Amino acid sequence: MGDSQYSFSLTTFSPSGKLVQIEHALTAVGSGQTSLGIKASNGVVIATEKKLPSILVDEASVQKIQHLTPNIGTVYSGMGPDFRVLVRKSRKQAEQYLRLYKEPIPVTQLVRETATVMQEFTQSGGVRPFGVSLLVAGYDDKGPQLYQVDPSGSYFSWKASAMGKNVSNAKTFLEKRYTEDMELDDAIHTAILTLKEGFEGEISSKNIEIGKIGADKVFRVLTPAEIDDYLAEVE
Amino acid sequence: MSRGSGGGYDRHITIFSPEGRLFQVEYAFKAVKAAGITSIGVRGKDSVCVVTQKKVPDKLLDQSSVTHLFPVTKYLGLLATGITADSRSLVTQARNEAAEFRFQYGYEMPADILAKWIADKSQVYTQHAYMRPLGVVAMVLGIDEERGPLLYKCDPAGHFYGHKATSAGVKEQEAINFLEKKMKENPAFTYDETVQTAISALQSVLQEDFKATEIEVGVVRADNRIFRSLETEEIEEHLTAISERD
Repeated sequence: MGDSQYSFSLTTFSPSGKLVQIEHALTAVGSGQTSLGIKASNGVVIATEKKLPSILVDEASVQKIQHLTPNIGTVYSGMGPDFRVLVRKSRKQAEQYLRLYKEPIPVTQLVRETATVMQEFTQSGGVRPFGVSLLVAGYDDKGPQLYQVDPSGSYFSWKASAMGKNVSNAKTFLEKRYTEDMELDDAIHTAILTLKEGFEGEISSKNIEIGKIGADKVFRVLTPAEIDDYLAEVE
Repeated sequence: MSRGSGGGYDRHITIFSPEGRLFQVEYAFKAVKAAGITSIGVRGKDSVCVVTQKKVPDKLLDQSSVTHLFPVTKYLGLLATGITADSRSLVTQARNEAAEFRFQYGYEMPADILAKWIADKSQVYTQHAYMRPLGVVAMVLGIDEERGPLLYKCDPAGHFYGHKATSAGVKEQEAINFLEKKMKENPAFTYDETVQTAISALQSVLQEDFKATEIEVGVVRADNRIFRSLETEEIEEHLTAISERD
């Protein structure tokens, strides 16, 4: 990838042994809109703020939470355009796996392949790292799973995690509220309360997005009406 | 202790600055403003209208060759604000892509798919060092068979959104403030109202009354889905209607 003029890596070690481009990429993620995910006993929920630059933007034309496969969904914090690239690549990898093995790709495999792509962009010539961290939520034979992938390409499995502007408050809140035996609906309420913690302005079904997957193994983005119902329950 | 600014190269190619910003992308946005014109787009109930200034810097120039409004297919229009050369390159590639889409899939490329393609291409320029971002903000308009009138705006960073109304160029923020007030109650503009809102928004933020030859207006309508650039006489009629209304 990249032109031969740029067949040297732009991400190089500093004298202290750091890869500063990756650190800067993480800073870009940290200034992005807050997103979070919670793994329940019977499913996973991911959610994000959806603050648009103006009321003139048609919010129905924007969907931040995306499917990678019917049973795996993802959300990001950071640079939207970079996210679209990763979604496209991951979808293709999932489809290639399905075509080869005639089985849906396991969540860990897809996360690993996506992380590999992100790592390649920290080492290949003439490119910069991705300015996004991903939360990948899926349900396969191993049950509900939640992974976070960073611009460096490292990934971890989480019980609950948050990213973006309000990460430290959100994580503290989640640490207090998380229980191992939480069910999906409780997790959705907790997700909404966590988003509310650092939310600037009035929270509504028009400025947040929620995606969930349950034992039915179908990842779904909630409609604004469904979000309104959950918001009412939380009040 | 993290090393400073990437050796100063973070201003020259699209690598991250210490604050996690892409300076080249931000400079591309400035280049769009440096072109010196403002554009407006408004989506109505069953039509979309885009308006831009037509500044012909030299009397010896052939006026008809100065345009920022381009048909990409019969049904899709593209209003390019920014560096003219970059605009032409983008339009040529978009026309190619739309034609291939029609050939491959057997139906006309919808406005949002074209907008996504443009935005994805712009994203590549923000990530690969060998190409700079284009200094163009593109507004794509068309009537979708299922969803009705569509107006999308794509920027050098690779963002794209659907808009009820939007603006680009020098007076972008003033125009957006003006349009936010007009669109607050989610009005369902008729074709004439859509065109006149767009033109009067431009007049208001630039604080001048235009002659029909000083602006370009492009429209698509549900009852005539072909993308059209309005003739001078038609622009005259709308300008007259606006001044009589005020």
